[in-house]
Amino acid sequence: MKSYHDIVGDGGSKVLEQVAEQRTRIAAGLAGVRHLVAIGSGKGGVGKSTLTLHLAGALRARGLRIAILDADFNGPSQARMAGVQGAPFVPGSHKVSLPRTSNGIGVFSMGSVIPESESLEFESASQGESHTWRATREFALLSEILGSFEWGELDLLLFDLPPGAERTVQYADFLGSRTSFVLVTIPSEVSRGVVARSVAALSKGPNRLLGYVENMSGYYCRDCKTVRPLFASSESTLPIPCLGTVPFDPELARHCDQGLSLGELPDSPVGRALDDVARRLLDGLDEEPPR
Amino acid sequence: MKFLCVPCDTPMKLQTVGPPERGSLSVVYSCPECGYEIAMLTNQFETQMVQSLGVRIGPAEAAATPGGSLAETASKAGPKCPFAAMVPATDSPAATAGLSDAAQGELIAVRWTSAAEARLANIPEFVRPMARTGIEKFARDRGAAEVDESLLDAAREFFGM
Repeated sequence: MKSYHDIVGDGGSKVLEQVAEQRTRIAAGLAGVRHLVAIGSGKGGVGKSTLTLHLAGALRARGLRIAILDADFNGPSQARMAGVQGAPFVPGSHKVSLPRTSNGIGVFSMGSVIPESESLEFESASQGESHTWRATREFALLSEILGSFEWGELDLLLFDLPPGAERTVQYADFLGSRTSFVLVTIPSEVSRGVVARSVAALSKGPNRLLGYVENMSGYYCRDCKTVRPLFASSESTLPIPCLGTVPFDPELARHCDQGLSLGELPDSPVGRALDDVARRLLDGLDEEPPR
Repeated sequence: MKFLCVPCDTPMKLQTVGPPERGSLSVVYSCPECGYEIAMLTNQFETQMVQSLGVRIGPAEAAATPGGSLAETASKAGPKCPFAAMVPATDSPAATAGLSDAAQGELIAVRWTSAAEARLANIPEFVRPMARTGIEKFARDRGAAEVDESLLDAAREFFGM
């Protein structure tokens, strides 16, 4: 009697074939993207999304072609912060076009699709079981987005990841070894501890860990024009390069709420810090990956 | 999953996929040698597994058979896109940007040409309602009563695409 592997094809269900086609479609759609960079943390509330947007702005200011995929489907914020909440996705000849910020950054965010008063719904074939399938459905949705939108020719596609150390690893697994990671922390022992766990988990896989950014490393006082501490200084370090420290700037937070781009911010310590992070990030991407 | 007709030692072929009923699919296979038919009846977890992968069971040609493919069944029952149900059926931010409740209730209908509809049909269903209403708003803002391909191109240009 024939065994499973003696039989060519699947008799017509085409499930494996469709999954393979989806993968091919994604690879083809991302073929024009030079670098895939995921911005994660493991810890929530450290400013991943804000940093992603403003890092994109700093990279764009260097003349690079940038897009952001807001992979936090359940708590999307990029549409509002980037000022594209009111821009519809427009169908092209085969794929969907990305709306762009005033300074030319392409942005996909579920915040463009779902009003803030609504949430993504995870229906399930059986009642009370949606938790079982949530991750699978989220990644299938991510596949659909990667395969359906026009990413075109980009220097960097930044993924703004959802919080959670285990989610960070899941995204690394899904996005594959082409994707490099930047982790975001704040200068607190708790945050560094959680991010250290993400470093440990990601180090087991093939993805490059470009380094970490310490966000909210003090706050910038616009009255006295100085950066003052927000947290007690931390003794602990992370075993990956530090790409820079970025102070909190209330003006930057206001810009995020109003969807104004970094290009409209005056020169400030925060702007310079972000530019330093962008420079180190690009240096890291240009380096030969360690073998 | 594959099915083998043991007496013929021949792989069975998918024939039809019955409509989902309380989370269960009826997938009929037959043996191309002896014609023997079996039905695979999925439980809700098996159905959910396939739905969660964002794929459909069955080839396009199965739609011509009496039971039809899952794709055909879904198109009769509702949206084809496996993610359409994840997005609540409310107006998107793009659709309602800058409109008061009263203004939203007094929208003038905008026609779509068949070519523009075809372009819309190419995009995932979960973003289609948002795209449709956002583009219609773009058309109204410009005094256009019809969405055609040139208006879609103008929208791409306007939104910086």
